[in-house]
Amino acid sequence: MRKIRDSSLMILSSDEEDDCDYKPNLHRSYTKKPKSRPFITRTNPRQPKKPRVSGSRSRSSRDSPSLFEQVGFPEEDFEELFSGSKVSAGSGTSNVNELWVDKYKPHSLEELAVHKKKVEEVKSWFEERLKTTKGNLINNVVVINGKAGVGKSTTVHVIASHFGARLCEWNTPTPTIWQEHVHNTNTGIQYTSKLDEFVNFIEKTRKYGLIPSSSSEDAKPSIILLIDDLPMTNGRVAFERLQSCLLHLVRSTQLPTAILVSDYDETDSTDHTAQRLEQLRLSLENAGACKVSFNPITINSIKKMLSRICRLEKCSVTDEQLDLIAKACGGDIRHAITSLQLFCVKPDLVLNGSFSTTSYSYRKEDDIDALVRGISLLFGRDETLSLFHALGKFLHNKRETEVANAITPGDAFLVRENFSRLSLKMDAPEKVLCQAHGQARPVTDFLHENVLDFISDEAMDDAWHVSSYLSDSDLLLSSFRGMLARYNEAENVLQSAAASVAVRGVLYGNSHPSPPRWHAIRKPKLWQVEKSMLHKQKEIVRQRFIAYNGSSSSKVSDVATEDMPVLKWLECRASGFEDNQALVHCNKTHDESCDRMSLDDRENDDDDEIEEW
Amino acid sequence: MASSSHSSNYDIPWVEKYRPSKVADIVGNPDAVSRLQVIARDGNMPNLILAGPPGTGKTTSILALAHELLGPNAKEAVLELNASDDRGIDVVRNKIKMFAQKKVTLPPGQHKIVILDEADSMTSGAQQALRRTMEIYSNSTRFALACNTSSKIIEPIQSRCAIVRFSRLSDQEILGRLMVVVGAEQVPYVPEGLEAIIFTADGDMRQALNNLQATYSGFHFVNQENVFKVCDQPHPLHVKNMVRQVLEGKFDEACSGMKHLYDLGYSPTDIITTLFRIIKNYDMAEYLKLEFMKETGFAHMRICDGVGSYLQLCGLLAKFALARDTARAA
Repeated sequence: MRKIRDSSLMILSSDEEDDCDYKPNLHRSYTKKPKSRPFITRTNPRQPKKPRVSGSRSRSSRDSPSLFEQVGFPEEDFEELFSGSKVSAGSGTSNVNELWVDKYKPHSLEELAVHKKKVEEVKSWFEERLKTTKGNLINNVVVINGKAGVGKSTTVHVIASHFGARLCEWNTPTPTIWQEHVHNTNTGIQYTSKLDEFVNFIEKTRKYGLIPSSSSEDAKPSIILLIDDLPMTNGRVAFERLQSCLLHLVRSTQLPTAILVSDYDETDSTDHTAQRLEQLRLSLENAGACKVSFNPITINSIKKMLSRICRLEKCSVTDEQLDLIAKACGGDIRHAITSLQLFCVKPDLVLNGSFSTTSYSYRKEDDIDALVRGISLLFGRDETLSLFHALGKFLHNKRETEVANAITPGDAFLVRENFSRLSLKMDAPEKVLCQAHGQARPVTDFLHENVLDFISDEAMDDAWHVSSYLSDSDLLLSSFRGMLARYNEAENVLQSAAASVAVRGVLYGNSHPSPPRWHAIRKPKLWQVEKSMLHKQKEIVRQRFIAYNGSSSSKVSDVATEDMPVLKWLECRASGFEDNQALVHCNKTHDESCDRMSLDDRENDDDDEIEEW
Repeated sequence: MASSSHSSNYDIPWVEKYRPSKVADIVGNPDAVSRLQVIARDGNMPNLILAGPPGTGKTTSILALAHELLGPNAKEAVLELNASDDRGIDVVRNKIKMFAQKKVTLPPGQHKIVILDEADSMTSGAQQALRRTMEIYSNSTRFALACNTSSKIIEPIQSRCAIVRFSRLSDQEILGRLMVVVGAEQVPYVPEGLEAIIFTADGDMRQALNNLQATYSGFHFVNQENVFKVCDQPHPLHVKNMVRQVLEGKFDEACSGMKHLYDLGYSPTDIITTLFRIIKNYDMAEYLKLEFMKETGFAHMRICDGVGSYLQLCGLLAKFALARDTARAA
């Protein structure tokens, strides 16, 4: 493994970068320095300046596990030496100043939390490319997509090390700053944009492959190219350039290449970057790249991973808390680990000076436990989790069992029997909501989705009350649809009014709650139709661009009702004829979406026009 | 002005002057703060996103944390950028990356810190550019982002950070801090004045301190009247009276109260905002509270649409009265 790393093709963008990486851990630099020197020398003599095929140092030191250990050993000795003088150092492990995400990066296929089948898929794909001699395979590019933090790059790294292959990464080069630019112009070097550099790099690797390093080895290790960080593109021209460059890569590269594309939620679909990435991914797939999509990681795998880390870090976290963290991260393992790191920063460590305070922390355990339980609601990417507790309170609608006389206002304003309610067994709903960080829109949606389960079957009037209040609250929120909450004074009042109406409406309306039993709270499905409608619409618009090179003036409705069926029909006729590729091409990929689309869209078309345009 | 004794400090806003410099001094959100305190002591800060409404101490926490962590090195080893700085993609690429590469001699266990305040106003392009930087330099540089809504941060960044949520401060927490400032500045006050300040601040410490300072420098005495004069909000007592009159069935009085407020020149939005806050805290039957809130919400919506006439406000009162009559025991 050591050899692999030595020979790996790493050209750093600048020497400073390299040095800088060592700086913060000065105490261990002596172990690394001798080893690191070879990498600093540029191993690629052909390209003295650019393009920079920079594999980042810090990254690669994480990639090749055995080396990490190698480096690690002397360091541990060193630390032992140090800690030897301070006898205890109970939490010595946590002193290593690394993020846990890096520290516990998986080193073998078994450790990966990604679904086995997906790993196997990627692995066998690479195996095929690495084992067979080049030439007989058509596509050498795999596009891996998935949400942030599901382990896309980690999988590729681990697989590469599994095969003993060298992993070459494209890393965005250090930007040129103005002074440097001025200096460069004096010496006659032209300025190149980052996109240019990327394109250059891709072109070179595509045509010549990566130049192996000078170190002559008996068997050349195979190379895997990883493109993780696609350059940002501003504007259509730049994007098209990137796209065509990548398309060339897909069609003609000789190296097994993995391109990683992050998915985004549908919610921020207004975002151009997300759209572009999506578009890019589809076009790469059309060009014949193999596609693997990673799903969010299951709660169980995350939990397993978290408890392993807990064991290694020797921090006591209950199963229940791990469960919470795992659920709160929404399938994002990196976030789960980061959260865990923060979570394990327990206030009792404050007291943990150099002297042993174990007895003390035992005493405090109860306090801390309570604190921890409170905190567990504080983080997590999924804001809805902390909401669940509040929702549970609202939906179960616990009341005092008898009329407390003190509740009636002093000036004896008596409310008619059927309008009065027993007093609530909780804080003011607004306070509960505020503590749960509830936003008006999700609260309303969740209540709408779940409230009927909690109303007893006979109480039709209650259901009537509740839904009328929920619809009121929806009306109050109508101006925010599709917008994320903003903290603007005027909007703030509307938002909190809407949330209050929704919550209080449910509390008030549900006067005969069904007997308490366990209900799972479901995610709202209220806006699914709208969401998928928007999605389909985007798809159509995009397709229209592909089919007509953007010159078509037909409306979305025309495309949906006329063009698509025709295209579909044509496809049936033309199947087997390669000549019609242009037509079939765009059709084939969107086949299934067509089916659904043509149905949905005809119904919704009128609304579409109003909402979207 | 004339007072020479504290003229040197006169120009500093109290918000800055009394900004806590230690994590331990931060008011409210005890869970989050206690955790940050431990990080300040032990080092190895993970990448953080602090999310919460304005004035709850997000920026203060990060700044205090950074200073406590780095001590004398803070000057060199902290890069702070907020929305007023140019934070386009070039800045992220250049400034942040240059900073991440900069050599600062720090003791082991410490990292350089990049603070991005108001990170939700960064363009998604800039956030994208941040994504990789964060990862590559994780062993020398850590990031702390403050934002109002964490969902405005792109997912790859959320995924790389631990999210800490801040919530609005309670009245007691604000009061405690106000008392400290009042004591230090020797502000003459009556308790009702502080109450009024807390009411206008609505859980926002920054606003509370600003209002306090404004009242003090304007009138040199903090009582209810002065506070509402300075903040230029309808006096909640008037509004409260209106609600009470409606509940008592004195519709005419309530209307004339509204007329009075309207004639004073308060904008309908201000009146209705205060009204909503009053209703939220007014002790009344559950049904009435619900109905009142609903109607206030609708009236607010109409006003936002531009129909901010006196008629609307009276109509709102009339609807209150209707709801009251429906609910009243015969």
